[in-house]
Amino acid sequence: MSDGQPTVLPGFGLTLGFTTFFLSVVVLLPLAALVLLAASTPLHQFLDAVASPRALASYRLSFGGALLAACINLVFGFLIAWTLVRYEFPGRRLMDAVIDMPFALPTAVSGIALTAVFSTNGWLGRYLAEFTGIHVAYTRIGIILAMTLIGMPFAVRTMQPALLEVRRDLEDAAETLGAGRWCVFRRVVVPAVLPALLTGFTLAFARALGEYGSVIFISGNLPLKTEITPLLIVIHLEEFDYRGAAALGSVMLAASFVILLAINLLQAWGRGRRVRREQ
Amino acid sequence: MSITLDQLTKRYQGAPVVNDVSLEIGDGEFFVLLGPSGSGKSTLLRAIAGLSGLDHGCIALHGRDVTHVSARQRGVGLVFQNYALFGHMTVAENIEFALRVRRVGAAERRRRRQELLRLVALEGLDERLPAQLSGGQQQRVAVARALAHKPEVLLLDEPFGALDAKIREGLRRTIREVQRELGITTILVTHDQEEAFAMADRIGVMNFGRLLETGKPQDLYTRPATRFVATFLGAANLILARQGADGPRWGAGAAPAHGSSLGTGAREREVVAVVRPEEIELARSRETLSCTNYLARGVVEEVLFTGALERARIRLDEAHDAPILAHANGDGAGAVLLEATRAQFEQRAFAISPGQSVTIGVRRAHVLATPLSSFTVCAPSSSDVESLAGHPLLVDLSSRMKVRIRRRVEPMLAAPAASHEAVAPLSGTTVIAVHGDATSDVTWLLEHGGEEILILPEHASSPRRVLIHWTDESARSATLAVSASILRHLAAEAIYVDVLPEHTPAAARSFGIRALLDARSEARAAHGLEIRTEMRFGVAARALQQRLDEAPGHMLIVGIASASQLTNELAALLARPRWPLLLVHREREAPAHSRSAA
Repeated sequence: MSDGQPTVLPGFGLTLGFTTFFLSVVVLLPLAALVLLAASTPLHQFLDAVASPRALASYRLSFGGALLAACINLVFGFLIAWTLVRYEFPGRRLMDAVIDMPFALPTAVSGIALTAVFSTNGWLGRYLAEFTGIHVAYTRIGIILAMTLIGMPFAVRTMQPALLEVRRDLEDAAETLGAGRWCVFRRVVVPAVLPALLTGFTLAFARALGEYGSVIFISGNLPLKTEITPLLIVIHLEEFDYRGAAALGSVMLAASFVILLAINLLQAWGRGRRVRREQ
Repeated sequence: MSITLDQLTKRYQGAPVVNDVSLEIGDGEFFVLLGPSGSGKSTLLRAIAGLSGLDHGCIALHGRDVTHVSARQRGVGLVFQNYALFGHMTVAENIEFALRVRRVGAAERRRRRQELLRLVALEGLDERLPAQLSGGQQQRVAVARALAHKPEVLLLDEPFGALDAKIREGLRRTIREVQRELGITTILVTHDQEEAFAMADRIGVMNFGRLLETGKPQDLYTRPATRFVATFLGAANLILARQGADGPRWGAGAAPAHGSSLGTGAREREVVAVVRPEEIELARSRETLSCTNYLARGVVEEVLFTGALERARIRLDEAHDAPILAHANGDGAGAVLLEATRAQFEQRAFAISPGQSVTIGVRRAHVLATPLSSFTVCAPSSSDVESLAGHPLLVDLSSRMKVRIRRRVEPMLAAPAASHEAVAPLSGTTVIAVHGDATSDVTWLLEHGGEEILILPEHASSPRRVLIHWTDESARSATLAVSASILRHLAAEAIYVDVLPEHTPAAARSFGIRALLDARSEARAAHGLEIRTEMRFGVAARALQQRLDEAPGHMLIVGIASASQLTNELAALLARPRWPLLLVHREREAPAHSRSAA
């Protein structure tokens, strides 16, 4: 709420109006249309679309893969952010810039690049297949790899500023108080950056879930095996089955909403616990 | 002893940040490490806490060598300038952190926490988060937290730096009370001399990584041994004077009846006197001056009213002979003004205003023990004098040491053969440039009373290592004193090099080692200077030359007892020196007369 104090940008009414308008046009209206379309679908047709074995398999792959990719990004994104924040080494700035590459690249390009590297005759996939028997391209591993790659900058970029806040002094203080390395990490560093960790995880998860371009190149798209939900939606669209696509879309929408809400509630609960202590 | 530091050295990119610091701190003592920023005091504190490693030296806490013990096992409490509280923990959790880590039971933790909160006067704030406290309160929490595990030593790193004056005062008192109540040995690091005076049992002053002087606040203020401490602790006027048998003399009034000629036994030495601004008396004329020590006449340039005191800056009249070298706030540029502060009663007795001519007296002066009082640049022509006076190393040294560079054109230097004319005696340190072989110039200067001669090659920069050597035991004390004086103002390591003949029998070698130890202990006891020692074998000049060639960035200080030693033993060194060379010349003392002591 405006509290009567003048701010740099004038007009609370104007700015709020624009915010609402923007949200409506870009987010709320299209989503409402989607839900309306799905809701106007006859029930049996809706169920056919959302509960077919093919659809169920794609949910498992999409949500499971995105969750796993987000977990990987949580750990390794933290490591990257830590390295970039804490150490001074030649090439650090370059490395820092390279992190953003997946932001800027059309996702299809990443997909093609990954496939080129990891396919059975790609220059890395060849040896992987030969020596370990692991096939990356056209399997679930490839999908998770693509999702991880796409989500990484989100994780790193949210954790970096939080880690900058954790000053060396805090660790030094904990050390002189008798805490070992692991203890300093667990009790001082992690709690201080926990909100950023959760946000990074959420963003990486959301990004991986919605990813389409890069995954379809490396996944091979075998129904029931390596077919993600967004692809299934596209397939419905190509068959001019708009209602089926909308039905699947609304399921994804609902599920992502529930997951994001849960994470947000978790964060709010964490903050609330602190606030309650203050009283 | 609670804390014993032995020759601690820490280098950063080759340059010493903490330079050979040795120190002993007694049980329950409140010790303040004072120095300008970048003097290495915080690095030293972190080394004691175990947070940064050392290149050299030992640290013992309560007799236990902890040099290689990690910070978590040293049992020290550390308080940071920016509090470093854990933001996601409450005050209670912050204070209990050290106990929780040690798996102390909840009831005991609670008891200890309440005790500590009472100690720092923050009872009842247990459940607050640090962000909800004021800066002063946060720092109190930090102090309580640092004391929770009952450390043997409390270390405070500029703990008041981020607080405003009022809160600072209160927190100072609390920390001092807590420290007394617990009897805990404490080191406080600060750059604020007022804070150091207010809190310290003992102060150690650091500059360029060296611990220059330690002592009680009162002693350091009234009797500093070095010009850095004199000017860093409070305001001070440094005045060039001549030390006679009955104290310092300055100005025309105290000029010796007939100029001190060469060869007389009780020759007056040039010295630097410290005069605190409050020890200066201003009067209308010499008759109304109440103290006997007349300095000069001068003109008031500026008067500042600061409440209890009045601060005046006075320009001395040109005609007299008492140059002011510097005062604490001197910017170095232009003529230096004399600074005086006067209490209310003095202002009432004699009011002054800018432009007024006044007579200046000195109530009390302290003569510095330092042997380096001034630099006199000597060259055959005035253009050579000017270019040498602008030598970067000399400019650097003189500004750091607050020493004035005097200029003297000496045509005799070019034609030393005709050297038996009357020449004004040399005083202070004479500086000459190297043009090929320096032997003849140096010999001429020594014949005309030069006692310290600095020979500067054209491209000499600030040295990183200073080698010290003397050819004769009689020159030892003087050489050490001069070395100490120089080294206090340089970020350089000091190494005493003793050279024994090539085939010294084992029995004689032990004498050599004893000489090394003597040199070290004298440097430490008389000048507070820590030096490293090395023994070499062979011919002195060649051994030194080899040592100097090992790495760039050297300076050499050599003590000699007679000019003949130059032409014989050290001729090779003077042939074409590529490093700054400082010669210290002291004739073997004849037992008949005693030199007037400072």
